[in-house]
Amino acid sequence: MTPDETNRTSYARGPRAGNSSGLDSSGFTALKAKRRFSLLRLTALWEAFLVAIGSLRTNKLRTALTLMGIVVGVSAVISVVTIIKGLDQTVAQTFSSQGSTVFTISKQPRVITSREDFIKFSKRKDVTRDDAEVIFRMCSSCYQTGIAASRPEIVKHLDQKSDNVFIRGIAPTTMFDIDAVTIDAGRIWNDNEGESAREICVVGADISENLFQGAAPDRIIGQQIHVAGRPFLIIGVLQPLGKIFGFSRDNLVYIPYSTYQKIFGGRSSLVVFVKTRSAAELEETQDQVRTIMRNRRIRSVSDSDDGFALETQDVFLDLYSKATSNIYLVTIGVAAISLVVGGIVVMNIMLVSVTERTKEIGIRKAVGARQKDILTQFLIEALTVTALGGAIGVLTGFGLAYVLALLMGFPLLISAASAVLGVGVSSIVGVVSGLWPAWRASRLDPIEALRTE
Amino acid sequence: MSDVTLASPPAPTAIPAPEPIREHDSNSLISMRGIWKTYQMGSEEVHALHGVSFDIPKGEYIAIIGPSGSGKSTLMNLIGCLDTPSQGEYWLNAKNVSEMDDDELARIRNQEVGFVFQTFNLLARATALHNVELPLIYGGIGSSKRHEMAKQALASVDLTDRITHRPNELSGGQRQRVAIARALVNHPSILLADEPTGALDSHTSMEIMDLFERLHGEGNTIIVVTHEHDIAARAHRVISIRDGLIEKDEKIR
Repeated sequence: MTPDETNRTSYARGPRAGNSSGLDSSGFTALKAKRRFSLLRLTALWEAFLVAIGSLRTNKLRTALTLMGIVVGVSAVISVVTIIKGLDQTVAQTFSSQGSTVFTISKQPRVITSREDFIKFSKRKDVTRDDAEVIFRMCSSCYQTGIAASRPEIVKHLDQKSDNVFIRGIAPTTMFDIDAVTIDAGRIWNDNEGESAREICVVGADISENLFQGAAPDRIIGQQIHVAGRPFLIIGVLQPLGKIFGFSRDNLVYIPYSTYQKIFGGRSSLVVFVKTRSAAELEETQDQVRTIMRNRRIRSVSDSDDGFALETQDVFLDLYSKATSNIYLVTIGVAAISLVVGGIVVMNIMLVSVTERTKEIGIRKAVGARQKDILTQFLIEALTVTALGGAIGVLTGFGLAYVLALLMGFPLLISAASAVLGVGVSSIVGVVSGLWPAWRASRLDPIEALRTE
Repeated sequence: MSDVTLASPPAPTAIPAPEPIREHDSNSLISMRGIWKTYQMGSEEVHALHGVSFDIPKGEYIAIIGPSGSGKSTLMNLIGCLDTPSQGEYWLNAKNVSEMDDDELARIRNQEVGFVFQTFNLLARATALHNVELPLIYGGIGSSKRHEMAKQALASVDLTDRITHRPNELSGGQRQRVAIARALVNHPSILLADEPTGALDSHTSMEIMDLFERLHGEGNTIIVVTHEHDIAARAHRVISIRDGLIEKDEKIR
């Protein structure tokens, strides 16, 4: 060892050694204090972060277990939320495919929730073609109107058979617009063909799939199918609409209403569809149609029952959200429990960490760490682990949701908000569960702490 | 805590009455006046210190010696501001430490006291450089300035070539020199060593004592707490503690 005189001189007690004046000493302290205020916070935070990283890297297994606790919790919540969002959007899109400009007039509402209502609605007068004619004629703010009646039937082609095909009799052809379906191949019937009750039809994509071995749409134009035993000529094929909850929306056959009436009889109640020019006109148009219909049903202004049902597509969405919102809450709640368990894991491991590092805490306090510094250090350690776990959990959650969305066939809605929420919530879990261990660490008596081995 | 006043301590008959208390000496670096330390052990009060008073001027090299249970560890904790007295006044560098709260004490430890422990007390996972930087971190000094100061402190104990080593890669003597560098890095008012050679062999012990001598020569105030007479003999003044009282206070050099 060679003594290095130049370096050593800096430890000679230069001006302070011989000078016992209080002025010099307090001036020196004031300078130091100033520097302390400006830098201490940031320096200590960065130091705490580095110590946290170091400690987490040294105890890899412990860190992995802690991370796992948080990752499981966050990914459970994230995937559940993502799937629910995708589901909601699918449902909303499906039910509002006719848009918010369409409403219907029918004998009974589409959703009946009690037996009493069912009996009451059954006694109402049927909605007839006459009702529809009057609405067509009298409603000035109606943009498009149409009537439709539907029923499931067996449809055959040669030896191929398909059950439960939705047969929809419509008039006039503006109902295609109101139903928001478009032609893929062939054509729709003209008014002449419609009124003369011809056996012609426009079919959904599933018909070619189920009865023609998946032939291209233009190959089945001019082919014949049997609906309820009667031959029909295919003149058009619709573009596919896709599935909802595994049920196809393309397993249908459109026929002219007059043909429908000829085959299935005109007794049953039909549904009148009204489309307005814009969503803003919807309410006004509904009022107009309601007045027309109440007059036809001879209802006085004071009568609370219309004697018919006037509905928009929203009724399905309302019912859907009513039926599912509680289920969603419970599902998210169950997933959130795993996050709480993750928090308990973090707290447990932090407590072990404090006990293991009692000596270290003593050393830090001996060289000038305040309670606040120790508290910050352990909080940052908990925060680092949980924020990291949260980030991994968000990615895993999205991955899980992606796989499930693929399997169940609905869109994947990845939102930045749920990612931020995932990391945020897990960080809060970190702070909450780290608080008690960190507080204990900060309150350790330095003398006792230094004595431990 | 004892509820007696300074004027009439509850001295049991076996224990001699403490020396009369003078005003604290504002020229001294350390001025202890009538220091009592009382611990509550169950229902019994145990007095570790019975009204101790002494002064240490700047630049002195002093040893505090006494058998175990004499109260010298308690006294060291008080001097080092790890603890506060039950009664009495402790002035360090013209500041009344005995009335300070935890955070103020932490600041005094950071700025005024450099500790050297028997078991070194280095952070096991940190490099020598980082260990020496530790007081500067809590002193709020920026990283580049910190590196420079820590390197300088390590150079002053001849460990320039060991700055990236961790404690388990260093010998006992080297570890203690890292600890001394850490104690010195913040330019404290006192260097306070608790049995600094207790865990070292005799050859290394002499090296460390030589280092203390050199640091004293450079103007540092050094207080060594020990029970070994040959270690105490290296100091210039020896205070002997027995049963919580100063038995002897003599200049030996």
